[in-house]
Amino acid sequence: MNPFTHVANWPWYYVGLYFYISSVSAGAYIIGSMAELYGGERQREIGRVAFSLALPLILAAPVLLIADLGRPERFWHLFFYSKDGIPYINLQSPMSVGAWGLTAYGGFALLSFLNIMAINGRLTFAPFAKLYNRLPRKTYAVIGMLTGLFVAGYPGVLLNVTAWPLWEATSPLLGSLFIASGASTGAAAIILVMARQKRVAGETYSHLEKVDRVSMIIELLIIGAVIVVAGQYAAPIMSGFYGVMFWGGTVFLGILFPLGLYWYAGRPGVDRNRLVMLTAVLVLFGGALLRISLMQAG
Amino acid sequence: MAKGMFIDTSVCIGCKSCQVACKEWNVLEGEPTHFRQLPGAPYPIAVNFTGNSYDNTAALSATDWRHVFFIEEFSQDRSVARWFFSSDSCKHCNDAGCLNSCPTGAIIRTDMGNVFVQDDVCIGCKSCVPSCPFGVIALSPKTGTVHKCTLCNDRIHNGLGTACAKACPTGSILFGDVPELKAIADARLAKLKALGETKANIYGYDEAGGLNVFYLFLDRPMVYGQPEHPVVPQQRLPLSTAATVLGAAAIGVAALISFRERGSKKSEEEKK
Repeated sequence: MNPFTHVANWPWYYVGLYFYISSVSAGAYIIGSMAELYGGERQREIGRVAFSLALPLILAAPVLLIADLGRPERFWHLFFYSKDGIPYINLQSPMSVGAWGLTAYGGFALLSFLNIMAINGRLTFAPFAKLYNRLPRKTYAVIGMLTGLFVAGYPGVLLNVTAWPLWEATSPLLGSLFIASGASTGAAAIILVMARQKRVAGETYSHLEKVDRVSMIIELLIIGAVIVVAGQYAAPIMSGFYGVMFWGGTVFLGILFPLGLYWYAGRPGVDRNRLVMLTAVLVLFGGALLRISLMQAG
Repeated sequence: MAKGMFIDTSVCIGCKSCQVACKEWNVLEGEPTHFRQLPGAPYPIAVNFTGNSYDNTAALSATDWRHVFFIEEFSQDRSVARWFFSSDSCKHCNDAGCLNSCPTGAIIRTDMGNVFVQDDVCIGCKSCVPSCPFGVIALSPKTGTVHKCTLCNDRIHNGLGTACAKACPTGSILFGDVPELKAIADARLAKLKALGETKANIYGYDEAGGLNVFYLFLDRPMVYGQPEHPVVPQQRLPLSTAATVLGAAAIGVAALISFRERGSKKSEEEKK
């Protein structure tokens, strides 16, 4: 560990935001696939909302990532070695593997999105719909879920595999932390959409809330472990502006307070709908601040 | 045969000829000045220059591929004084963090062992920047790509040594085959130790998987602005990946359980 490394200077409004948006998308997709695969007929609802969220969100990813490049017009060099045009992957580079993984995930997000369109009757172009019905939905839900887990987790590995002190010291935990946060914010995004449509009632909602609660508790445990593992190198997120952002924004407003609100909203006689919306917004907000504080601090 | 450099800091006089030669041969522009209004100062200060030291640029950058690091340690009354110099550059690591992290194949190792950035391939993703344990490689806002010392790739492939070694008036920078340089370094270290320089050490034989540009220091590496225990960051890749896969499995199982408890939830709701 050393203080001589240059920071990458990935601006939070490009790369930090990408890490966040992609993990919300992937988190929603993972939960949607789970509901699709293991939930009953009544939980199809979750999948429908999740898959209609996952694609639009992930479409922002290439825009943000390409905007961050020093030479945006050369972004295709990530996929093809520009000297000979042969497809290129560097297995030691999380960014290289990530570019391919993100593309794969985007493909599955598209398939699932089209599936929802077809179910909703919005996809009426006959030859396409016909071809579409032949694809094994459950198979690609499983593979799509795995690519989703990859997309949510690889940014953590990418940061851990640098020499920047805070990112180096938090190894090997950032990947798991981002996946936990992705699952939690993904569930919150689904809950938010369902709450807006006043559909937070009964079994469907209670499953989602449980996923969110469990992920947030796992996230808390990982944050605890991160602080222990990082030791003195956690200093940039222990005090100052990013300390407030991390502890006040992410841990308190984004995890502890929402956990309390979920508990309160579950009590009889409480107007659940608005409270749940507030909770989901807080969780989503905390997830964004988690990425921003960890990226910018140090 | 891997080419490299041996930097004997014990004979460096801080003349910065190497910095000038590097700039000239590689046609590097002057470091762009970044002004910032600092508290207490009535006018903007050039924050990327020291202004209080013979060491002006303070660090390597996209336009400063060589940097003479000045160690100016003086007590208040100047009764105790140490004035050291160390000419720093890219170390051309045997296992280079920047090269490992490059997602486009822009950073390559040539047949002479030097690590070289192909400017026409680089996309400016910046992943190499924090992957260098020594803070060498840097993005140029002007070209949108990263730059660093090439070990004078064009010169060494045409039978010449590096420009900095050529310009060095004291033999502090030696260019050559790594094994031969190591023999020179070992002999010099033995000599200095015999002269009573007990803290003298060679930096770069084992650090970060071995460096093709290595140093003789008279004190701990930290004094010379080098990390004490640099690690190639990709060494953490297997563990980091494994932990993330485990985390993914844990979250997957947690989500699965949350969806599987249909039966019990239903009966609870029925009871109410």
